[in-house]
Parts: sequence; structure tokens; C-alpha cells
Amino acid sequence: MFSEQVIACHHCDLLMAPPHVKEGECALCPRCKHKITRLHHSNINQLLSYAVTGLILLFVTTQFNLMTFNLGGNVSQIDLWQSAINMYFDDYKILAVLVLFFIFILPALILILIVAFILSIKTGIGCWAQTSMLRLTFVMMPWAMVEVFLVGILVSLVKLVTIAQMDLGWSFWAYAVFCFCYAKVLTLVDRYQFWHWIDEAHR
Amino acid sequence: MNDYCRQSAASQQLANCSSCSLVSPIELEKCPRCQTQLHLRKPLNLQLTMAYLITALLLYIPANLWPMMVTEKLGQVEYNTIVGGIIVLWQEGSEPIAIVVFIASVLVPIIKFIILFMLCFSVYFSGLLCPAKRLKLYRLTELIGRWSMVDIFVVAILVALIQLDHLLNVQPGSGTIAFAGVVVLTMIAAKSFDPRVLWDDFDRKCDR
Repeated sequence: MFSEQVIACHHCDLLMAPPHVKEGECALCPRCKHKITRLHHSNINQLLSYAVTGLILLFVTTQFNLMTFNLGGNVSQIDLWQSAINMYFDDYKILAVLVLFFIFILPALILILIVAFILSIKTGIGCWAQTSMLRLTFVMMPWAMVEVFLVGILVSLVKLVTIAQMDLGWSFWAYAVFCFCYAKVLTLVDRYQFWHWIDEAHR
Repeated sequence: MNDYCRQSAASQQLANCSSCSLVSPIELEKCPRCQTQLHLRKPLNLQLTMAYLITALLLYIPANLWPMMVTEKLGQVEYNTIVGGIIVLWQEGSEPIAIVVFIASVLVPIIKFIILFMLCFSVYFSGLLCPAKRLKLYRLTELIGRWSMVDIFVVAILVALIQLDHLLNVQPGSGTIAFAGVVVLTMIAAKSFDPRVLWDDFDRKCDR
């Protein structure tokens, strides 16, 4: 519908002709080296599979405990939700909501939107929502802090390992693999490619 | 150097859609593909960035003075600020973790403040650094910004995990909210800054 005659760099506003990118290649802005696009045309199924795997793993994460703390027979364990819920009831409501959003709700919403978007492209159902789905996804993306939370778990583990016996639960491993899938999804998401799919679907 | 002197979209009255990257004339006002409002540059970008930065800087004071974590050990209550927590970690012998926390919650916010203030001023007083170098600094702030949240997540995990009544329990301190505010506000500040203004002065010189 909208054939791109010319594109511009988001970081330095340089006008240029749309690049022809081969599989496995990546186009950089000639002036500021900003990554423009990485149109590899076959990645829609790969993206879908990583996003669905991520969602399943995120569900698994909620079902088991994250880690166990054992101080001379006094045992306590947490799961992903409890970390936020405890703070909520200790009158740190803003903090609880922020943490839960950053580590769980936003990543989940992003993956759900990507899956819904790809399914809608493939089946042609719900064309009217595709534009808003994409816009919402890109707005939320910088706020998901999956990998930062993983480092947070490791830091608190090392903090506590000197005073008590610590054990990692199944949820931790599920979250770690989820983190990998999420990172993979992020590398496969490409603005130009996504809007290109919409253009093709509307054609 | 001549390689750099090509036309910018703004000089042709073309706007790059912030959402779908379609380049269209600014007269259209709304992107024909995704209906996003078109701007040549993000509106008010320097003023907004400065406003968010100054707010974050003010919040940074209580974030460092108020306790992050309140630990009760056998009835004794202990208040730990960010820096206090790092010193305790260092003394207990976990130096690598102390360094990680120091980088994430002390160094990263300070670096972000310095770089973003510098970038805002560099637009008014040009010639501070070449645009490509300034752009690299901007990308650095975007990259490292989120990592300051590590400390907040650690507090959240410890609070949830360590609840053994009077034997040992941990509560979040008021500093956590201030610090979370600093991280979120500096991230918004970096988002509202438009890196394309760094090149505008450069482009104007090329036109002459």
C-alpha cells in the first residue's frame, strides 16, 4: 500500500534509499551507524515459535517457587507473585505494582500482542487491530526488564548464601529460559519488517 | 567528511513517523499508514528532557539519604541506605557483588545525569563534541538506564523471602520509592530527548 521510496534514520534524520538486505545481513545508517533494519524474510515462524515458547515458560514460572531460604530449619520460599504481593500489603503499593509490571505483566503483554499480531497476519482475521497492536507493542518494549530481574535474583542469592542455605526452584530455571526466548524475540522484532507484513496483508 | 553532508529529512520538510518509520511530508500532519501525529523533531524535546532530569536529580537526594532496606535481626533494627548496603557487602567479603551493585545503583544514575545534561547543553553551545560521539553517549544512556532497577528487584526479593518474624525480617525502606522514581524518570528523560537535534547544527553548516 505504501511503497517506501525513501527512508530516514531515527537517530540522525539522514535520508536514504531503502536498503536491499540479504538473509543474515543488517543495514546500518551510513552516517551514524544506527541499526536501520534486518529484513530477513523467513523469520515469521521463528518469531512465532519463540514468542509462544516464552509465554508457556512464563506460565510455568507462576506455578512453582522461585527460591527457598533455609536458616537453621526456618524455611521460607517465594514465587513470582508473592514477591510483589508481600510488598503490596506492606504499604508499598506503588513499588509492588511497578515491580510486577516490569518483570511479568509487560513482558507477557508484549509476547501476547506479538503472537496475536502474527496470527492476525497469517489468518487475515482482525486486520483493523493490527496497527494499534504494533503501536502498543513498541511503546511497551523498553519497559520490560526481564534480564535485569534475572541479575537481581542472582545478586540476592549471593547476598543470602553467606547467612543461610539457599535453593533455586523450578521457577527460576523456567524464568532463565524465558529470558533467553524473550531476548531472541527482541532480536527478531524489526519495525520495517512488521509494517512490511501489514502492507502485504492489506494489499 | 563530505560523506556526512547529505540531506536530512527535516530539510526537505519530510517527517519520519515515530511509530512506523514511513517518511511523509509534514503537511499531512498525521501518518497516512498508522495515523500517528507527525513531527519533524519530537516536540519540546529539550525542555521536557531537562524537566524530567531535574525532577530525577531532586529525587536522587532522598533516594540516597533514606533507607532502602530495614532489617530486623533478633529485635535489633538496622537501616541500610544504598551506599551503606554496598559497604556492608564489601565488608562481608562479597566484593564482586558489591561492585555490581555499585555500578548499577550509584555509577549508572550519575553517568546518565552527566551525559543527558551534557547533551542538552551541547545543543545550545555547539562544538562540544562531534555529533557522532554525542550520539554514542546517548545510546549508552539508553542501554544502561534500565540496569539501575537491579537494586529495587533485590529489595523486592529479600522482602518477600526473609519473613521470620523477630528472628530476622526485612522491610522495604522509603528510599526504594524515591530510587524507583529516579530510574523511571531518567528513562523517560532519555526517551523524550530527540537525538536528531544533535545533527541539526551540523546539517546547517553543510548547507552553507
